[in-house]
Amino acid sequence: MVTGFLYANAAARPEHTALVHRDERVTHAELLERVERLAGALAERGVAPGDAVALLLPNGPAFVTAFFAVTGLGAVVVPLNPQFKADERAFCMNACGVREVIADERQVAAMIERHPRRRLEPRGADETFAFQFSSGSTGRPKRLARTHGQLWAEAESYSFLGPDDRFFCAIPLFHTYGMGCCLIAAARHGATLVFLDDPQPFVLRRRRALELLERERITVFPGVPFIFGHLAGAPPGADLSALRLCFSAGTALAGETSEAFREAFGVPVRELYGCTEAGTLTADLDPEPVPGSVGTPVGRVRVRIEDGEVAVSSPAMTDGYSSMEELNRQVFRDGWFLTGDLGRIDDAGRLHVTGRKKLLIEVAGHKVDPIEVEDVVLAHPKVREAVVVGVSNGREETVKAVVVPGEGCGEREVIEFCRERLANFKVPQTVEFRDEIPRSPLGKVLRKYLV
Amino acid sequence: MSVTAELETFIVDEIALGRGPRSIEPDDDLLARGVIDSLGVTQLVAFLAERYGIEVGDEELVPANFRSLAHMEAFVERRRETARTW
Repeated sequence: MVTGFLYANAAARPEHTALVHRDERVTHAELLERVERLAGALAERGVAPGDAVALLLPNGPAFVTAFFAVTGLGAVVVPLNPQFKADERAFCMNACGVREVIADERQVAAMIERHPRRRLEPRGADETFAFQFSSGSTGRPKRLARTHGQLWAEAESYSFLGPDDRFFCAIPLFHTYGMGCCLIAAARHGATLVFLDDPQPFVLRRRRALELLERERITVFPGVPFIFGHLAGAPPGADLSALRLCFSAGTALAGETSEAFREAFGVPVRELYGCTEAGTLTADLDPEPVPGSVGTPVGRVRVRIEDGEVAVSSPAMTDGYSSMEELNRQVFRDGWFLTGDLGRIDDAGRLHVTGRKKLLIEVAGHKVDPIEVEDVVLAHPKVREAVVVGVSNGREETVKAVVVPGEGCGEREVIEFCRERLANFKVPQTVEFRDEIPRSPLGKVLRKYLV
Repeated sequence: MSVTAELETFIVDEIALGRGPRSIEPDDDLLARGVIDSLGVTQLVAFLAERYGIEVGDEELVPANFRSLAHMEAFVERRRETARTW
């Protein structure tokens, strides 16, 4: 299974570089040794198969080591956004029954230093590999489990990548996109993963990113539209001639961004599509990328359109959300998952994503569920009614709360109330006060009048 | 108002509204804490141009110039130095 990739890489190419982070280069043999040592340390602390272990770590060798040590022991990895506030962390950890939290890179290093290696046994396909959270119109994020067999199936779908690829990792590994397209894909092929150290905010990392892309002769670059747009605007001169595949996901890629990047660096940006429930689903691998297309299904993924909505089926897909039987009946049907995205399939079998059925706000690459934010705003004692919407300025969305206030309710206190309870990217940037929330005759909130 | 005080006011009121602290210590790592994100940097660059006439060049758009109030003040002072000697 997935841990087996590490053994295969260490046996086949022990001296090949697995990870590059700042001045540190870690070979496949060294990575396996670190993973085995950390697994030994965790087992000694009592971590056993089935136990949930949360990771609150930035991208880097410690994340990779902890990720494979936890799953190699048969424990369940719970990668969380280190930016989450106490309430959000507590919610996710309680939902998973987290037993241990790994949040300190120095502690990981110390544990590796002190413990002998522990050989990791193969895990069963049905054992749980990870708990992940998917946002989407139900208030709090929904927990889902993916098994070793499902992650292995996702790994096998990255057949368009290879052992001599060098991946640039500028997206978070705690998110499905980075976990699949960087971590799992690189491990599957025994390729090299190069980290953009200190990746936030990306606006300040353009020079560093270009330096690494050139110096490490990066070949595969998964990113988001903002990253490609920002790089395209850099002063000319960087030689990115080794680059063969740039993927953009998370939100629609504007044609001009792809063109500007191609003009600057000679390589187009292609769209890739996936979801937390099933990992990577489609990738545009046409010799010449097709504008608006997110490509054709990868691996054994199947895609079809049901009443305008994108439905997918994949051996990498979760069995459903934990403790949400009603919702599972609605969106997981006969082996197909209804993504909530709207789309069409063209004559050549390429998927085009045309819109979104679920209410999600895209804030700088993050997906924000307005219902989750509404629940927090409504908990404020001076708020009588609240609706949260995304406001677009044409380039990006911001979060706005529309509030029917009680007595003496101010914008600042509503925002600060949210700030204490929500990750920064979810906090409304503006609060608009109204006497009433516009509703349809059936009582449905008319969000379009609030934007 | 000192440069540090002006920058603090701008960050607290304009950038961090709802996203950060009410006051900032000179050495607080604003990047690591997520107080200043990519959008925040863009706002700061515009503020530096408008308030101090400093055009931030591409080679200056690095964490070392924006990590904390102290880093930003040092950057502003350095650039003002350059402006005077020229």
